[in-house]
Amino acid sequence: MRYRVLAVVAAAIALSVVAARSATAGSTTSHTLTVWLQVDAQNGWPQVVAAANQAFEANHNGWNVNVQYQSWGDHLQKFDATIAANDTPDVIEMGNTEMTKYMAAGAFADITADKGQFDNAKYWLGGLKKSSMFNGKLYGVPYYAGSRLVTFRTDLFKKAGIKKAPASLAKFENDLAKVKAHDHTKGFTPFYMAGTDWYSALSFVYDYGGSIATFSHGKWHGTLASKKSVAGLNAYKKFFRATSPKSASKLNEANPAPYTVFSQNRTSAIFGPGWFSCCTGKKFTKVTGQFVMPSHKAGKSMPGFLGGSDLAVPEQSNSQAQARAWMADFTSTANEKALQAVGNIPNATNLLNGTVNDRAAKASWFVPTAKHWVDVENGNILRTMLGQILTGQLSVKKAAQTADANIAYTLNQS
Amino acid sequence: MGATAEAAVGRPRRRPLVWRRIANGSVPYLLVAPVVLVLFAVLAYPIYYLVRISLEDFTLFTLAKGVGPYIGLKNFSSVLHDQVFWHTLLRTVVFTAVNVTLTIVGGTLIALLLKRLWTPVRILLTVGLILVWAMPPVVAVQVWIWMTNVQNGVLNYVLTTLHFGNYDGHNWFGSPISSLGMATTLIVWGALPFVVITVYAALSQVPHELVEAAQIDGAPSWRVFKDVTMPVIAPILYLLTCLSILWDFGVFTQVYLLIGQPAIVPANYVMGIYLWEQAEVLDLYGRGAAISILMLVIVAAMSIFYVRRMVRTAEIT
Amino acid sequence: MSHRLGQKLGWNALGLVVFAVMVFPVYWMISTAFKTNDEINGSVTPGWVPRHPTLQNFSRVTHKAYFWTDVKNTVIVVLVAISIAVVFAFLAAVALEKYRFTGRKFFLVLLIGVQMLPGIGLIIPLYILLAHVPLLHLNLVNHLSGLIVVYISAVLPFSVWTLRGFLMGIPKELEEAAMVDGSSRLGAFFRILLPLVAPGLVAVSVFAFIVSWNEYVFARLLLNDGSTQTITVWLANYIGGEKALDWGGLMAASTLIALPVVGFFLLVQRRIAFGLTAGAVRG
Repeated sequence: MRYRVLAVVAAAIALSVVAARSATAGSTTSHTLTVWLQVDAQNGWPQVVAAANQAFEANHNGWNVNVQYQSWGDHLQKFDATIAANDTPDVIEMGNTEMTKYMAAGAFADITADKGQFDNAKYWLGGLKKSSMFNGKLYGVPYYAGSRLVTFRTDLFKKAGIKKAPASLAKFENDLAKVKAHDHTKGFTPFYMAGTDWYSALSFVYDYGGSIATFSHGKWHGTLASKKSVAGLNAYKKFFRATSPKSASKLNEANPAPYTVFSQNRTSAIFGPGWFSCCTGKKFTKVTGQFVMPSHKAGKSMPGFLGGSDLAVPEQSNSQAQARAWMADFTSTANEKALQAVGNIPNATNLLNGTVNDRAAKASWFVPTAKHWVDVENGNILRTMLGQILTGQLSVKKAAQTADANIAYTLNQS
Repeated sequence: MGATAEAAVGRPRRRPLVWRRIANGSVPYLLVAPVVLVLFAVLAYPIYYLVRISLEDFTLFTLAKGVGPYIGLKNFSSVLHDQVFWHTLLRTVVFTAVNVTLTIVGGTLIALLLKRLWTPVRILLTVGLILVWAMPPVVAVQVWIWMTNVQNGVLNYVLTTLHFGNYDGHNWFGSPISSLGMATTLIVWGALPFVVITVYAALSQVPHELVEAAQIDGAPSWRVFKDVTMPVIAPILYLLTCLSILWDFGVFTQVYLLIGQPAIVPANYVMGIYLWEQAEVLDLYGRGAAISILMLVIVAAMSIFYVRRMVRTAEIT
Repeated sequence: MSHRLGQKLGWNALGLVVFAVMVFPVYWMISTAFKTNDEINGSVTPGWVPRHPTLQNFSRVTHKAYFWTDVKNTVIVVLVAISIAVVFAFLAAVALEKYRFTGRKFFLVLLIGVQMLPGIGLIIPLYILLAHVPLLHLNLVNHLSGLIVVYISAVLPFSVWTLRGFLMGIPKELEEAAMVDGSSRLGAFFRILLPLVAPGLVAVSVFAFIVSWNEYVFARLLLNDGSTQTITVWLANYIGGEKALDWGGLMAASTLIALPVVGFFLLVQRRIAFGLTAGAVRG
């Protein structure tokens, strides 16, 4: 009996090994380039990816591209595991605010010498280029950007007698009050913003000339408690309280998504990335419009957060030349134009063509390029501050001072 | 016994006595070998690695090198001097106690209830429990998020309609207690089926005649439970309680996905989240390893009572 | 008599209430699966029953890339993991229950100890280990076998302990009766014990099935290719992927995915009837 048992056990183990061996056997005949892109590409512009793969494989006989799609939530944790195991992909898409820490850690290959390989490198968008550089060297290729816009209900604005986009923040607040006067649906607010949506909220701070942090005398200093920043935060608080629902004071923009609130007819305007217009609901597709958020100074635009992605080659990759070639194919002028066609901002100024999206990109702000910036983001320091301000838990100045202390502590770590 | 065997088989069985004794003596080790081999193969290196990096300054900046500078117990002392660690620990202990109690008591009660139901109702409830168990946590979290939606979630709607108060626009994740309370409902809900099914299976081993005899004697049901049922299912209950403690203390996925990274702050950390934030989000791997080891020690202390009981009942047989 | 009936009715009513409360989120998932996304997102008050029930969501998700592939992958992972884990665990449980050998107590405590390790702390070293499997020189990252081995080790401790617990609950007389029958000690053990510990085997198989089927962190970490992922990863990608979460599709996919688990349990349950013990002891 026990021999039968042993035999079964041994067979099971043997079978697993054979299975594992055969499963890994197929990959030795040709070369594979492993690329990590975010799922945004898989759903939004698969044809761009396909074009890049085709162009690359045509020029590189015996190579095939394996694109593995990742999610923003955990792609960095997975990347870390591959670094530790020396098993990294050959190309990786990074969010522009994620780049600095990894560049400082030496995770990426230096591609300064190969800058000429990439289309329109001379005209790369300032914000994206900055995020790809560290200590004067280039480590990433700008991929695409996104700015912030107001998405609104053209029919409701028309009904309230608003004929053109507001030229100032004060005018916008008035317009929203007009919309509210015309609509008495329960739970309706003319504007919906997640209170802790710092990408949108800090636009107010930069609009007043404030900032998040500055580097001086060898250290980072939080600057949210400066006079200008506090003015911006106060403007935000005033605007939020006048136009958005109180229940959103501590909510973040992931849940509920502003466009969901829009599609439920609970609001007439939202502030967020340009692609919000995709998801405003079948009922309202025809009455969805966009304009750039106005500054508190009449006639100017409020600076919008310039989000975006860069592509980089992990330092441990064994196929760096091929990786660079693929990145060049992927960010070719034709591909960037295709990205633009589906609502993104292309990576170079010479490709901008005056859409509302591109106009928004002209007035933009970006986060401090500090090694530990992404830790400030993940530590939700800004979100906590905004929640405290909007619920009245702390005064604007106190909340800002607390945030400054936390930001300085985080950014000044070794 | 040997004679009968020979008679049954029809020919003499002869094996060298010594070899037979050794072969017999090695049986338990052979039976245990597969489990030992698998566990060793999978966990030996990770445990060694964890201990090693807990003694190093190992972060993203040293990750590519595979090893960081040796700093002895500095990671441990840094963690133990961190207020966030102690607050999180206290919060997690309370969280664990609440979750485990609700799960084990609730699960046992439902298992006992199952025994008293008519077959169609029992099957209905069992299938319902299996459906609950079959729902991937990733999906259950989404359903919870949907149900607790601030504007049009069904929870706010039902509570307001049933006149429990005005819950219109109530944010169930506005405070740490409320957020972790929601996490508790999700976790206990998901854990109940497992406890129910296991306890129900254990109840099937309770000798029916003893139960009937006690009932005929006029003993009240709680007495029957205490004196007849409990002794039989006690080993399983110790095991389930112990596992629930282990699992709820280190819970991560449900809490992380439910509250969401944008809303996770030290005020609503539980140990699993604290570990993730330190090790994986801030990339302080050495510190994270120290936290892992501390978690191991703490949860061992929390479950020592049950482990002792479990091992002791092993000795009685 | 009517008091008895009243009591019975009471218990059954309670059973139905428990059913309703527990199953509500599942009901919500299934009913949402049949709603159009416009109804889901557009309505301000929650609709209990779909206004215009549709199968659109189901057809949409089953046609999405890698859905069926990932279901197949999950089935493979789960079935292989259960088969191996239950066999290994049963053997070890028998050893622990029947034999007194040195290191027995240590082994028992070790099993519990292993469960005390926080899984997420082991992410990186496990990845390193699987990327460079010693002796065999394999890279098992992105391969189902790597995940299978991780799952087996995850369910073994509980399985061993549970099966041991069930074995302990079996009266000694039964074993003795078997041995008098003339079989060797081990043979009797397996032939008589197997049916008696059946409820335990069911519980352990279902446990292993569910843990493997629903596991998220390691599947997400270790599997990168759409073609080798499990269905939990597919779901997570679905949630994090689309710009606007396709609730209807997600719920439809989840409903479909829950079916095999229910099917598996019903299948196992019917083949191994509860209550065999009673008959054996009385006989």
